[in-house]
Amino acid sequence: MYYWHWLKNIVRRPETTGFPTDPDGIAKTMSNSDAIQTRARPVEGFLRRSLAIRHIDGGSCNGCESELGLLSSPDYDLTRYGFSFTPSPKHADILVITGVITDAMVPVIADVFEQMTAPKRVVALGSCAIDGWVFRGAPGVRGGLEGIVPVATRIAGCPPTPGDILRGLLATVDGVDPLSGLREIWP
Amino acid sequence: MEWGNMVHTIPTAPTARDWINAWRVARSGDSDSILLTADGPILTTLLMNHKTGALTRLCWDMRDSNGGDAWQPSWSGIGETMVVEYRLARERPELSWQLPDHLHVRGKGLFTYPLGPVRADVAESLLYRLHVMGDEIIRLTLQNGFKERHIRSLVSGKTIQEALPVIARFTTTSNVHHTLAMVMAVEEAWGIQLSQQVQITRVLLAELERAYSHLGDLAMLAVSTGLPVPQMEYLHLKETVLRINFALFGHRYLRAAIVPGGVAARGWHQDVDPVGAAGMISDVLDQAERMQMGLERTSSFMDRLHGAGRVPPAAIQWGRPVGPVGRAAGLGLDVRRVRPYAAYSDFDLNTPMETDGDAYARFRIRVEELGESLRVVRRILGGWNPRELSPNQALEVLNGPPLQASGVGIVEAPRGLLGYWLRFDPKDGRIAHAAIATPSERNWAVVPDAMANGNILQDFPIIDASFALSVAGWDG
Repeated sequence: MYYWHWLKNIVRRPETTGFPTDPDGIAKTMSNSDAIQTRARPVEGFLRRSLAIRHIDGGSCNGCESELGLLSSPDYDLTRYGFSFTPSPKHADILVITGVITDAMVPVIADVFEQMTAPKRVVALGSCAIDGWVFRGAPGVRGGLEGIVPVATRIAGCPPTPGDILRGLLATVDGVDPLSGLREIWP
Repeated sequence: MEWGNMVHTIPTAPTARDWINAWRVARSGDSDSILLTADGPILTTLLMNHKTGALTRLCWDMRDSNGGDAWQPSWSGIGETMVVEYRLARERPELSWQLPDHLHVRGKGLFTYPLGPVRADVAESLLYRLHVMGDEIIRLTLQNGFKERHIRSLVSGKTIQEALPVIARFTTTSNVHHTLAMVMAVEEAWGIQLSQQVQITRVLLAELERAYSHLGDLAMLAVSTGLPVPQMEYLHLKETVLRINFALFGHRYLRAAIVPGGVAARGWHQDVDPVGAAGMISDVLDQAERMQMGLERTSSFMDRLHGAGRVPPAAIQWGRPVGPVGRAAGLGLDVRRVRPYAAYSDFDLNTPMETDGDAYARFRIRVEELGESLRVVRRILGGWNPRELSPNQALEVLNGPPLQASGVGIVEAPRGLLGYWLRFDPKDGRIAHAAIATPSERNWAVVPDAMANGNILQDFPIIDASFALSVAGWDG
């Protein structure tokens, strides 16, 4: 049925960008250079590159979900770095949390984090998950993960581009941003 | 704005009978309820005739009723009231609304399958309770509210400039339409006139958003039937459109591109190449048509979609779904044709219609709309020059008081009819009250009926993906 697709792939280059480990003009223009802040430290011999990601929506506007969904697209292909999404928290190594954290989702997030087996790390994805962004002060909105789960990496942006999300995921494992080679730690 | 047969006021302390009579009046005019708001003691519904686009306002004065034995919408059993019930239960907790208590299903061999709020790979938080007997879904109950951000109360008391960023984050995959509806309400209240160039640019923005939103929904539908090749193709096309968005307007999701009185973009200081973008849109259109042909010749895809998740006729009459879901079930409401906004009256849009109301009909509607959107985008980009846009002079006007106290903006978002009704403070122009009717909020109501309509558990992801509704739009 999709023979034309295979034929097309013989003559075309792959769509996948090299970003963030190799230069790519377009993906770099879209990305925000200081989006990544991480506290993560590499765990020698344990946290390597076959990592399962569990995602939780803590009250997002579905922009971060849209960009996370595009990570599996041929343009970004997160599996080339060894990442994959998993439906089960018990199989997950990285917990990606999006959205303004609502009160209703606090017990759910804490429960999922507890169900994950160590070593495990949490990524706060998007400006909302970092500090509530424009929803700060709304009723029922926690705005941040302080006191719920320990955050290893923050990926700023509204929404962060898939390239920035990949940078953040790599920084969560290696402790450094692959683009700048720096470790940026928030106060 | 044309008001239909004007304000129909219901007496104080209305009873259930008054409520039913009011709805009879509304239904006799072929109207759909689109907005409902509890603003102080006055309850208001805005109705739109879906043939002429005329608006009617129904008001209830609750001042003298003491809540307890007042009217209760649940008694009437008329479909449009369910939005009323959800909204009022949230906004006026002091009134004792009888929320529709979900039928408790019991029986031998019945199993309740809870799914959510953490579910699937990347998905929004919503709790599905699937009651299954063997494989067949007997009943579905949905529990939302996990991600309520209280946007309606958050924007109250804010200035327009403060409220716009919040509104743009209602649902990101339809943020252009949310912003456009709000901006239309603002422009109506302040009496701002726009140039044709601005209006055409707004159509361009709206159709770009419809295109990438439908491409994402089609990718979800393809993978729900276990076909990763078309999923990857559709995701690649979506990413292509998002990159075109970035090249033209400086943001992948076109955020903040629409402002009161005009359009704004971050990318315009650079060289914008509309003709090159039009060529890329042509490629996307070609590939999307090939994907559709390939999928329609894939028997495993067609077998799963035909007859799956058919919305029952009673639910269509009851819930009056909008957008692609409604058009797949024979309700041909398209705001772009009924109440043309921006420059839509210049475009002879072909609104697709299907009557089956199943997952295949929704797929057909989406692919046809996608093609139509991409053709409109290509046509606009062919003769579009952002440098011809006149500078925006409305921003100073907005600092003054509004000409009229309220404004309405109704648009056709990718998921259907989206309405904003904003009431402004007559002194400083701050938003006094915001009533927002989202298409997802309305369409979720027919999902349980469509799901429990002779489908089996394995059909659930396909039906869910074929509706492609957003939870953010429901939980706003």
